[in-house]
Amino acid sequence: MVPVSYSVRNLMVRRTTTAATALGIGLVVFVFASVLMLGAGLQRAMGRSGSADVAIVLRAGSDAESSSGIELPAAGLVTASPEVRVRPDGRSDAVGEVVGVLALDRAGGEGMSNVQVRGVPDDVYRFRPSVHVVAGRAAAPGSDEVVVGAAIRGRFRGVDLGQSFEIKKNRRVRVVGVIEDRGSSFESEVWGDIDTVRAAFGREALVSSVRVGLRSAGQLDAFKRAIETNPQLGLTVKRESVYYEELAQGTTTFLTILGLMIAFFFSAGAMIGAMITMHASVAQRSREIGTLRALGFSRRSILASFLFESVVLSLAGGVVGALASLAMGLVRFNIVNFATWSEVVFTFVPTPSIVVSSLLFAALMGLLGGFFPAVRAARMNVLDALRA
Amino acid sequence: MSSPEESAAAPMVELTNVTKTFHRGAETLTVLDGLSLSIAEGSFEALMGPSGSGKSTLLNLVAGLDRATSGGVRVAGQDLTAMTDGDLAAFRARYIGFIFQSYNLMPVLTALENVELPLLLTKLPSADRKRRAATALRVVGLEDRADHYPRQLSGGQEQRVAIARALVNDPKIIVADEPTGDLDRKSADQILALLEKLNKDFKKTVVMVTHDPEAASHARVTHHLNKGAFQ
Repeated sequence: MVPVSYSVRNLMVRRTTTAATALGIGLVVFVFASVLMLGAGLQRAMGRSGSADVAIVLRAGSDAESSSGIELPAAGLVTASPEVRVRPDGRSDAVGEVVGVLALDRAGGEGMSNVQVRGVPDDVYRFRPSVHVVAGRAAAPGSDEVVVGAAIRGRFRGVDLGQSFEIKKNRRVRVVGVIEDRGSSFESEVWGDIDTVRAAFGREALVSSVRVGLRSAGQLDAFKRAIETNPQLGLTVKRESVYYEELAQGTTTFLTILGLMIAFFFSAGAMIGAMITMHASVAQRSREIGTLRALGFSRRSILASFLFESVVLSLAGGVVGALASLAMGLVRFNIVNFATWSEVVFTFVPTPSIVVSSLLFAALMGLLGGFFPAVRAARMNVLDALRA
Repeated sequence: MSSPEESAAAPMVELTNVTKTFHRGAETLTVLDGLSLSIAEGSFEALMGPSGSGKSTLLNLVAGLDRATSGGVRVAGQDLTAMTDGDLAAFRARYIGFIFQSYNLMPVLTALENVELPLLLTKLPSADRKRRAATALRVVGLEDRADHYPRQLSGGQEQRVAIARALVNDPKIIVADEPTGDLDRKSADQILALLEKLNKDFKKTVVMVTHDPEAASHARVTHHLNKGAFQ
């Protein structure tokens, strides 16, 4: 085989061209990695909101809590099911919540956006132990107090500690605390007393959803069967983690397809760049190619050598792009979830598999971009190449 | 052209009624016209002639870089006429050492790495390859230039590195195409002395194309070509 040092040093000799081509590829890899990180961030924000041993019950036909309504007697029947965990105090480990969407002015006067408002019972923190009040205090039961998620704190007018905003015309609620939950979508919500929210959104005698803690994750099928086969209830049951995955799916798919399409078109440009660079390199080194062939190196060796050079060039760009994309982890991003039509705030999440995928993507661009120049080099007539 | 004692040795190169034609549009150019040649093992032979006489074409046929249009070409006991491209590449790697007019070193590789190149086609381990390349550089008197790149060497030194590269694989035949064409007289004499050394001390068969009568005088036999035939 032609030595690796030959390929690598040839790239070093043509520093400017190499750097410009690698930079183009790096830009594409940056976009590619950022798109994947964005998808991963959204999946994490939504996925972390759900647990495998928690089931969510909605009105049959509803995809999201905000469009669901369950009458209180039905909710009572659900929580009394034998598959539901019982707390030491003898009560079912379950919460019924009211969910609405509220349009709020963005801080700094940049228009309005929707925020999901959740009316929660007073034992909600017991049901969701991962949610913590990180500033201020929890809202007092039966009051006009709310807590807000850390991700939306200060992003809307009145949505910060000590401030207030209208949950309904002429009905103000006061922010007394800030909650966090490992970056989950709860951090993009406003939580208030269930009766306050119910009244504000006109959901009297209803809850939007019922969540129940199952005795074990394996109890879901039995619970689902019991609830869904009862024609008087008209309810549907999902595992909570699946529910959130489905909520995120549409938005994630849209963003990923859009982003990958952009990356795809960019990559065509970058591959043409790599191809031009490698074609020029082949043309400049015709005599060297002829000499290598004369010395006995096979066409396949020449092909492999130029393909390798192209892949190294692309990987150099890929490393730069992937490293640059890691900085996107510091950026917070907000997007309207298509399922709930409310804003979710999340961060770009870098993962080892995204870094590996990005580098593979770069290598693929190098292979495709370098293919025709490498074939041209390998197919050169020895004598013509030596005379060049 | 060959002396009786050389003819007695086994022929290293045997060309029988070789013709080589090229097509330029509708025109057919005959570069070698029914030419036969026998070169004994261990000989040092020069090919001379005016431009277009066919001497480089003849050398390319001997080296396995080109194919005859008709006739037989046997080199080092191998019938080149029946070989595929891949077979010819393997033949060159095993039997032929090349010396080019413009040295044809890889500019991004050091002298030692350039000399090592043909050994990469063998199964020798890296340490053995390096040792043999260093030995070849010592033979041409450039052991202290092993880490120099071609741009850091004079023309004569570059050609000596090329000779070390031609020698390192222990080929049967050294083919040299105008090896002194780009050199001053002093450097040319050094190169010719080295070729003589390869022939006499290392028993290599040397076939050299040259325009230079002084260079040809170092060969034991000189063949003169004109219009594709021996004069």
